[in-house]
Amino acid sequence: MDFDFSEDQAAILSGLEQLISSLNIEAPKDAVFSAYSQALDNELTEGGFLDITQQEGFGLLDGALIVERLARLPVSVEAAASVLIAPAFLEDTTRRPVAILQGKLTKPARFLPMAKTLLVDTDDDLLRIEIPEGAVEEVETLFAYPYGCLKNPKALSSVSLGAGQLAKFRRRWRIAIAVEAAGLMQSALDLVLEHVKTRQQFGRPIGSFQAIQHRLVMAAELGQAVRWLAFKAAWSDDEGDAAIAATFAQDSTPKFVTDLHQFCGAMGLTLEFPLHHWTYRLRALLGELGGSSGQAIAAADAVWGSKNV
Amino acid sequence: MSESLDDFRARARSWLQENVPEHGSPLEGPESRDYALAWQKRQFEGGWAGLTWPAAYGGKDLSVLQQIVWFEEYARAKAPSTHNALFVGMNHAGPTLIACGSDAQKAFHLPKIMKGEVIWCQGFSEPNAGSDLASLRTKGVVDGDELVVNGQKIWSSYADIGDYQELLIRTDPDSSRHHGLSWVICDMKTPGITVRPIKTMAGPAKYAEVFYDNVRISLSNIVGGLNNGWKTAMATLGFERGTASLALQISLGLRVEELIAANTDAVTGETLMDLRADAAALRAMSYQFAIKSETGPVGSEGSMIRLYFAELAKRVASASIDIFGIAAPDVLAEHGLGFDYFDSYSETIAGGTAEIQRNIIAERVLGLPRGSR
Ligand SMILES: Cc1cc2nc3c(=O)[nH]c(=O)nc-3n(C[C@H](O)[C@H](O)[C@H](O)COP(=O)(O)OP(=O)(O)OC[C@H]3O[C@@H](n4cnc5c(N)ncnc54)[C@H](O)[C@@H]3O)c2cc1C
Repeated sequence: MDFDFSEDQAAILSGLEQLISSLNIEAPKDAVFSAYSQALDNELTEGGFLDITQQEGFGLLDGALIVERLARLPVSVEAAASVLIAPAFLEDTTRRPVAILQGKLTKPARFLPMAKTLLVDTDDDLLRIEIPEGAVEEVETLFAYPYGCLKNPKALSSVSLGAGQLAKFRRRWRIAIAVEAAGLMQSALDLVLEHVKTRQQFGRPIGSFQAIQHRLVMAAELGQAVRWLAFKAAWSDDEGDAAIAATFAQDSTPKFVTDLHQFCGAMGLTLEFPLHHWTYRLRALLGELGGSSGQAIAAADAVWGSKNV
Repeated sequence: MSESLDDFRARARSWLQENVPEHGSPLEGPESRDYALAWQKRQFEGGWAGLTWPAAYGGKDLSVLQQIVWFEEYARAKAPSTHNALFVGMNHAGPTLIACGSDAQKAFHLPKIMKGEVIWCQGFSEPNAGSDLASLRTKGVVDGDELVVNGQKIWSSYADIGDYQELLIRTDPDSSRHHGLSWVICDMKTPGITVRPIKTMAGPAKYAEVFYDNVRISLSNIVGGLNNGWKTAMATLGFERGTASLALQISLGLRVEELIAANTDAVTGETLMDLRADAAALRAMSYQFAIKSETGPVGSEGSMIRLYFAELAKRVASASIDIFGIAAPDVLAEHGLGFDYFDSYSETIAGGTAEIQRNIIAERVLGLPRGSR
């Protein structure tokens, strides 16, 4: 495994950086729970960033780098499913945003309000559903992503992609969870590090208290671990790697998020302080695909074949 | 002959059964005020207000065991959380007045609190004085028989719906740190006060910024003496988690049992068993502490219980989301678990952060040398 960016990767990331800075994206100042950016989606599509994995010479890891960078933004955009999951299952990848769902068709899914395609893991099949206008009801949540439910799933036609696709679908979904979590953790941590360096109490920056330093170091370690496990999984596209990365990401999140909020005091609990733009999303990812216990079982199956033990 | 504990329990249970409001409290604004006051009034009329307050001030002066029984029944009946708009009045403004107030202050304010006529809020923290409360700068200058107050407070819960505020200000301009402060009763309708509610990440505006522009407050509203406010404030902070937190602790234990009943996943089951053990330990620690405190002075062990509760409340709120999933109706509802979860972050911040509590425990309970701060 090579830890440096290739020339192509560096070029893509710098292009993405330019796009982001040209859009001047800032954390919304008003008290809002969720900030979805259609403008960013348009630019990313235009710039060809979301179909990177289908381009000659690029693969899943390159897609992961893009998804990770986008997750660091204070606004959300549907990139993980489009970049890391959909290309493996859809012929027409322009029908996006793509929403993903496991279980009953009536359950709420992230990005469903704007999705053109829904991929559903029904436990015994992988379904592709094209979403017509007006088929989705938005669901209000505190969890920062736009969520929606199908109003009448029975009225929609679905295409069976076959149970044989499920393992790959879940694997890619796990990679997507870990990669996105890595980006969210990075931005949240950066913000809190800045806060504890500048916030003074008892005549000194609160970041000088060892009680805080130690726990922020642990948070940084978790963030790094999630990041490299996620990139390794994207690089190998291996079942075990993917499940381990997702387990670790989901397992680390509660402690990580609580500590980060803790060190920002009362201010960190307001909608006026931007930390929630990342922590809400981290908390949402935590429950996907059965949460960390679901991933841990998958990891055990993939790595040790625990079903046979 | 005095009532047996069993009879007391039966009486409490039947009153609660008939009187606990059907719906939970609105989360913010005037409706939450009306709800809280109506509930307090109902308790007063039923003879269940001021159970922990001395009889001399209209309280019921119950024994600690009776208080425990009451709060057990209160939690069981799913009565309105004691951590609502009444909290400051019932649990620290009232007790502070009882401990440090003048006869006139007690006679005027205590009945109003107990009868559910007024909401109190607390104005201690400032933008630059959070954990380091003693660095506060809002000042009061003596002018005749009044104080003229200028400055700013923040995070004052219920200030937008409050009638009175426990206001901690610097009244000696040449003083620093915890010297030269005064604890003042501030009527929130006094001219010169502006309140700006602040929305939390859990949704509602739970607290507010308060600005004071030449606010005139009578010197007779000082509690515990001019420039002696730190001592009064320490009494207030000591009361912040009295036995009222027993109701919250017991509710937390019941919540864990509900989660166990709803859970179907083996791994989450393990977490829930941990939570159940923790809830049982917390309850035992609290009862022991409460009973001990009836017979003599207690030390800073209360900080340990408080911290244990705060951490456990956060874990229970998090486990709730894991069990139901973030998009479940139980999570999304107005009084839902999603709100509880984001709200629970404040458990280890409000009323003194977990780190400050740990500093206190390390120094005063474990006897470790004081660190630099
Ligand atoms: C829901 C809620 C309700 C509140 N209601 C009220 C109210 O009604 N009235 C009122 O006056 N105040 C209220 N507060 C304010 C509360 O008292 C303060 O938030 C608290 O004292 C912490 O101050 P801060 O938020 O400024 O955090 P800071 O003091 O900035 O602390 C930030 C972080 O630094 C850490 N830290 C600071 N000093 C040290 C140290 N020496 N060692 C190690 N770590 C340290 C803290 O533990 C925390 O993790 C409320 C707060 C909340 C969250």
